[in-house]
Amino acid sequence: MAALRDGDFGALQILLKAPSKDAVRQLCQECFSSPPAALGPLAQRACPGLAVSAEEAEQLVSALHNLTRHVVYRGLTGAEDILRLFPENFHQNLKNLLTKIILENISAWRNEAQASQISLPRLVDMDWRVDIKTSSDSIVRMAVPTCLLQLKIQEDAALCGNNPVVSALTMELSKETLDTMLEGLGRIRDQLSAVANK
Amino acid sequence: MGLLNFTREPVPEAVSADMHNLNQLSAQQFSALTEVLFRFLTEPKEVERFLSQLSDFATMNKISLGPLKNIVKSILLVPNGALKRNLSSEQVRADFIALGLSEEKASYFAEQWKVNSPTLARLAMGQTLMINQLIDMEWKFGVTAGSSELEKVGSIFLQLKLVVKKGSQLENVYVELTLPQFYSFLHEMERVKTSLESFS
Repeated sequence: MAALRDGDFGALQILLKAPSKDAVRQLCQECFSSPPAALGPLAQRACPGLAVSAEEAEQLVSALHNLTRHVVYRGLTGAEDILRLFPENFHQNLKNLLTKIILENISAWRNEAQASQISLPRLVDMDWRVDIKTSSDSIVRMAVPTCLLQLKIQEDAALCGNNPVVSALTMELSKETLDTMLEGLGRIRDQLSAVANK
Repeated sequence: MGLLNFTREPVPEAVSADMHNLNQLSAQQFSALTEVLFRFLTEPKEVERFLSQLSDFATMNKISLGPLKNIVKSILLVPNGALKRNLSSEQVRADFIALGLSEEKASYFAEQWKVNSPTLARLAMGQTLMINQLIDMEWKFGVTAGSSELEKVGSIFLQLKLVVKKGSQLENVYVELTLPQFYSFLHEMERVKTSLESFS
């Protein structure tokens, strides 16, 4: 996460050259969602719309990225808190517009940050089926129920970018294994309730 | 020899001779040998112990180990086939008689078979193929306090480590679940348990 730098607010005033409020809104959203590495290309795309030099566009995009991410990081939710970030001499209307846009998007941005957090591979789906084994090479006639469990697991979103890798793992559980597993899951549930009730 | 219950294939020639030799053993000797055999059948991994017990038997009863091993190989054909085909003790007895064993010894063996068959059946079922068997599950859960993007988070995470047997190797699979996913998973597993129980 990048921190707000001194030159950022100066760069933000470049937004005064934006064609419309919607253009500012759009740019804010793109700057928040973009990872630092993709800011360069984003600046190039924004350049023509703003009629500024490439260097200015880069400074602006970087500043917007830092501002939006900073607000989300600190968990600021009130207009006052956001307004307070801007320096005294900052353009009043632009300040209000940016604050308004940020407030509109803050909860979606927070969810986005949480969803793209680093984590172990995540469970995305789970399916099961129960089979009855009726025969095998070791015993010709039997009736043994068994469970097949398929977990769809997605690798860390940050590593995969836009193409998440989902792998499917199919496992077989005997009745004994399932009972043991349920015991473990029950214990988790009990501990979770204990924590929730504190 | 009429149709046998324990196998559809022709029995090796040597078996008749081996049964004849078995008939020469006293009742006590046959009972001791049967005990050694069933101990091996119920614990098939104890090969060393089985071979040493056979060797002791041979020494104590003044029989050569080589011929004894052949006799044992012949005898074991019947319980192995009987296990596969879920044979009753009457069928086992009938098969031994058809092979040439005395009625007395055949009845004795069939009795021992009856006593041991539940254990043996369970063993055979346990050896049945399992695909990616789940061996173990470890878990931990905690709270995410903060991250590089969010100073204060406070959400609960649950991590599972599943140990799965793939072929002869064990593989560890790590998965993270959110709280709603966990409750949903638990609910589904309980449904599986109900389903399995209704078929047991």
